[in-house]
Amino acid sequence: MIELRQVVKRYANGADTLTVLKGIDLRIEDGEFVSIMGPSGSGKSTLMHIMGLLDAPSSGTYVFDGQDTSALSKPQLARMRNQSIGFVFQNFHLLPRMNAVRNVELPMLYGGIGRGERRSRALELLGQVGLHERAFHWPSALSGGQKQRVAIARALANNPRLILADEPTGALDQKTGREIMELLQRLNAAGTTIAIITHDPNVAAVANRTIHIVDGVIVDEVHAP
Amino acid sequence: MNVLEMFRMAFSSLLTNKLRSFLTMLGILIGVASIIAIVAIGNGGKAAVLGAIANQNLQDTIEIIPSELVAPGLPQPGQVLSIDDEDFSIAQSFQGVSQVNYTIYGTSTVSTSSRTANVSIEAGPSDLDDLARFTVIEGHMFQTPDVIAHRKVAVLSTSLAAKLFGNGNPIGATVMVQGTPLQVIGVAQSQEANLFSLFLGSDYLYMPATTCRDLYPNWGISEMDVQIEPGANRDQLAKRIVTALNIHAGNAGAFEDSSGFLAGIAGTVQKVTTILTIVIGAIAGIALLVGGVGVMNIMLVSVTERTQEIGIRMSLGATRGAILLQFLIESMTITTIGGLAGILLGSGVGVAVSVVTGVPTYVSWPISVLSFLFSAVIGVICGLYPANKAARLDPIDALRYE
Ligand SMILES: Nc1ncnc2c1ncn2[C@@H]1O[C@H](COP(=O)(O)OP(=O)(O)O)[C@@H](O)[C@H]1O
Ligand SMILES: [Mg+2]
Repeated sequence: MIELRQVVKRYANGADTLTVLKGIDLRIEDGEFVSIMGPSGSGKSTLMHIMGLLDAPSSGTYVFDGQDTSALSKPQLARMRNQSIGFVFQNFHLLPRMNAVRNVELPMLYGGIGRGERRSRALELLGQVGLHERAFHWPSALSGGQKQRVAIARALANNPRLILADEPTGALDQKTGREIMELLQRLNAAGTTIAIITHDPNVAAVANRTIHIVDGVIVDEVHAP
Repeated sequence: MNVLEMFRMAFSSLLTNKLRSFLTMLGILIGVASIIAIVAIGNGGKAAVLGAIANQNLQDTIEIIPSELVAPGLPQPGQVLSIDDEDFSIAQSFQGVSQVNYTIYGTSTVSTSSRTANVSIEAGPSDLDDLARFTVIEGHMFQTPDVIAHRKVAVLSTSLAAKLFGNGNPIGATVMVQGTPLQVIGVAQSQEANLFSLFLGSDYLYMPATTCRDLYPNWGISEMDVQIEPGANRDQLAKRIVTALNIHAGNAGAFEDSSGFLAGIAGTVQKVTTILTIVIGAIAGIALLVGGVGVMNIMLVSVTERTQEIGIRMSLGATRGAILLQFLIESMTITTIGGLAGILLGSGVGVAVSVVTGVPTYVSWPISVLSFLFSAVIGVICGLYPANKAARLDPIDALRYE
């Protein structure tokens, strides 16, 4: 599905440069459930942004679905984000001025899907995450767990092959966090590849592979028994 | 994603900030409204003046007057004080002229046994009522036999009839003019709607020209009405007759075609109103530009406020083009709605002015369409910089923006 080879990410930090990722080699196969752990500031989010085509490596190669992403134009990258990748963020990142169903419709809007189909699929997805009754609520009227479920429904809108989740349970209480993880597990069981960043060992335990990053380097890789 | 979707999105985005959107619109609204209203009022005033002039000016008649009469003052040497019979026969001799009549104008008093009024007297041939400005509403106009027989008959304007007879029926009654009784045979509508009535009053008495000469032998004949045959070249004929009359009077400027004089006024009115419209329109255009700057300012604020929204949209697959279009359409929606509201408001002001002043106003369609397009263009121009700023954001920077 994806492969990173010697991926380096540097940021200019005043006069000197800050190297956040220091040569990451990583392959994730179709249908895998991978968790990424590591201390704060170790470069996990940066890695996920590169995997999600929101950011480009400073050096190294990133191959997505057999394609070297450095060769892709900006509109092509936008198209791949739209069609093949779904993001779930710690802070949900719902658009506050749109109700739940319109948030879920957004990726389909950019994907060029017609109004009627968009609405019915968005409602169906909200039903799948157990939010049918909340479809026309504003984000501000939803609890954290409900917001995250809207965000997951939105990530699923265009049937992406890869879901990237950056501490999706980080802002939730334990019980709600478990519910979200069960939802992601169900998706994975249905065939979607998932990469999840987490601090929580219980969350990581759900994955079939866990990668540990420290200071921009993969230090350990654990396969679930 | 199609443009209709984008408009829908722009609408809902503007609706979430109603007051701000409205205030931003206001600049455009006021600019467009003033343009529409100014042009409507200007056109209306112009049309009223030109219409009044056209009303005085007939296609098959040449009105010839002694020149200096239009510039009152002491008689000049060589000035023609009254048109005489020789002048008439000169005009009559031209080919294409069917008939030459004259009109006498003067002011006097008219009385009944109980009341007296000042009047403008207009005395002419029997075809006075062919003129568009006459509408006989009671009785009838005097006829050719009345003129030939020097009959003592009169037609009153409605306002004069009301002054002399109140609600009573004036037809058949007798009025005294210059000590002579005249029988009232008709009432004609006063020219209230005509701009000239503002200056000349609306109390008129019409009588046969022959009768008038009997009553007022000293009044000069101040207008010659040359009827031309159908198909004759009016302007050319007018020039030739005026030239012949001038040669006869021995003064190159003795006579003129009064319709030419009116055409001159019409031209001046055209020019003045056009210049006024351009000047005021330019001021309104500047107001519109200031409104546009307001739109740009708010769009910049909006882009900054919504940086994270832009990042989220990009993460969901929005292309730079989609972001650019989103903000462009938002700014265009503000200005076009402002423009439409301005057209409505400006037309409303025009109608209100017309109701209050009585001068008609004409909302110009081309100007309305143009203002609408112009406000859309302002939206695009003023939205371009903010929208471009939004579209060029780096997805990650935008997403991390707090
Ligand atoms: N745009 C940037 N400019 C400079 N430094 C950055 C930028 N983005 C991230 N960093 C730095 O990179 C490091 C790793 O950040 P991040 O990937 O968010 O870590 P994690 O998600 O593991 O906590 C941090 O030290 C952070 O300050
Ligand atoms: Mg992070």
